[in-house]
Amino acid sequence: MSDTLGTSSNPPEPAVVHRPLPQDGALAKLAWFVTADHRYVFLFTSVVALVGMGLSMRGRSPMSFLANSYALEVVLYYVLVAWLVVSAAALVNKLLKWNDYAQTSVFKRPQALLAERIGSYVVCAIGLVFFVDRVVMGFDYLVATSIAQDSNPTDFLASTIYMLDKSSSIFVTGIMTTVELALFGTLIAFVLALLLVFLRIQQIDRSDNDFVRFLKTVGAGFAKAYSTVIRGTPMMIQGMIIYFAGFGLLRGSGMTVSQIGSIWSTFVAGLVTISLNSTAYMMEVLRGGIEAVDSGQTEAARSLGLSQWQAMIKVVFPQGVKNSVPALSNELVINIKDSSVLSVIGVFDLMFATTTVAGIYFKQMEIYVVAAVCYLCLTMLATWLLNKLSARLTGSAPSSLPSSN
Amino acid sequence: MQNAAVAVATATTTVATEPLIRVENLRKSFGELEVLKDISLDVMPGEVVTIIGASGSGKSTLLRCVNLLETPDSGHIWFHGEDLAADRVNINKLRESIGMVFQSFNLFNNKNVLDNCTLAPVTLKKCSKAEAEERARKHLAAVGLSDFVDAAATSLSGGQKQRVAIARALCMNPEIMLFDEPTSALDPEIVGEVLNVMRDLAAGGMTMVVVTHEMDFARTVSDRVLFMDKGVIAEQGSPEQLFGSPQQPRTREFLARYLD
Repeated sequence: MSDTLGTSSNPPEPAVVHRPLPQDGALAKLAWFVTADHRYVFLFTSVVALVGMGLSMRGRSPMSFLANSYALEVVLYYVLVAWLVVSAAALVNKLLKWNDYAQTSVFKRPQALLAERIGSYVVCAIGLVFFVDRVVMGFDYLVATSIAQDSNPTDFLASTIYMLDKSSSIFVTGIMTTVELALFGTLIAFVLALLLVFLRIQQIDRSDNDFVRFLKTVGAGFAKAYSTVIRGTPMMIQGMIIYFAGFGLLRGSGMTVSQIGSIWSTFVAGLVTISLNSTAYMMEVLRGGIEAVDSGQTEAARSLGLSQWQAMIKVVFPQGVKNSVPALSNELVINIKDSSVLSVIGVFDLMFATTTVAGIYFKQMEIYVVAAVCYLCLTMLATWLLNKLSARLTGSAPSSLPSSN
Repeated sequence: MQNAAVAVATATTTVATEPLIRVENLRKSFGELEVLKDISLDVMPGEVVTIIGASGSGKSTLLRCVNLLETPDSGHIWFHGEDLAADRVNINKLRESIGMVFQSFNLFNNKNVLDNCTLAPVTLKKCSKAEAEERARKHLAAVGLSDFVDAAATSLSGGQKQRVAIARALCMNPEIMLFDEPTSALDPEIVGEVLNVMRDLAAGGMTMVVVTHEMDFARTVSDRVLFMDKGVIAEQGSPEQLFGSPQQPRTREFLARYLD
């Protein structure tokens, strides 16, 4: 910016020829900033140097590799100090030559620029060495010692690691169950919603006979009532009712509890619940997508002689489903989270696993934070995959995590 | 299919006294607003009827009533001896013979140009897919769009879309074509390409009912011009009569606004 303020009538050639900024790709932009842009180089690397110096003053863990070469560490430390001195000199120089720093400063000469860039890379490398030695190796040591404990440590991080190690199979089972519930539940719900939305959007046509009119009225009424009831009650209660209704029915037919457990397991009941629940929401999403299709599309199809059914199948429905893809894919993400309420009927999902582990060790905070992180990772992964998928299907994508139902 | 073509041919040559469509005492209201007040109208085979009038005069509603896109409140629409306005008539079958072109084109956005034209003939089993494609190509060539057969419907310009819409309607071999302000959504410089297609169609003997604001087209192409005002046919006659010596003051008033 000081370039434009320069009063010189014959401005010298700019010291650095800037490559153009890449238009897209966050990584490409970052790489450009690191390699081509020269702004803030002292500011950023000074921060790196300060952090590196701070890390070097922290106590070494027994697994630290720099502990064996104390002299090397001292040299690295003073390289960082020297860099801070150079940066300070550049800052003073900049303040003194505020208006024509870019043209006259020794720090802006081509050789100086090259040296500064190399220096900045060196500083970053040293910072990385300190980071690995203190933070990564320190964490490694913490993990090793926590796992080797005989009883649950009191330290938050150590305790979390200890419990994760001891009950990893419980967590893996829980995560797998959650993913299965959400994935299969969403797929089943999608198929059911496609069928149900047909009933929901039926309209009486002039050429329909009495029987068709009756069927359409009943079908649309059923779909509407279904949507109202399912969306108007908590999934937790739906899970309870479905599980115990199924259990009671099978018990009434004379089966023993263990026989029931083999066919009407809590997982099956949970899958039925999440499928039926998600169907209602997906149906409304589809209905919105279908109603968003311009009425002229139907009119054109009808004017050619197509029946309402044919116009729906051939013209309106494909466009409506395409409209709904972004919102439909959000249902999977919602189901990953909402399947947690099914733990009340005993489905061994991530939530149930978490509660189990918390019960074993009488530790709540540590283990629920772990569960939250697991859910977050799952939903972020699902969102990322679905964005790729819906971008391929529709050429656009939902921009962020969806809101809850 | 050939039967329909023959039917048109015989109708135009032999029984010129029998109207192809007869509208009797048609009434239509939207809530409190009475849009059509006791409209009667005969359209002869091969005749080109143009309906002009101010916005809100009921032109489009009349046209949409003729193929039941709007349901009339009362009255009759006789077509092939059947009353379209009667309850539970097989309107789908009768619509196959009534082509319609919309102001907003309404091409099927999920299909390409060729599939737009073949969807109805194939779905309604009027002919095989190969036959339908052959006929679609013929009609697309006639409207000058041979090069756009595989283009997505959404990628076309307005004028191209409307020409595809006309070809799509013709693929059903209709006996009559209804045009609902076919050029109103188009830029002025491409109105001509659509009007030329309609001129060719009229010259080929197609029965047409056209709602339009293109006075020049109404004057040069139509056999009869209807002027609608406030839900009634205020005046009708040959283009020479209606444009040359309009009888009603409101016709004169309307034309004065368009023709100066």
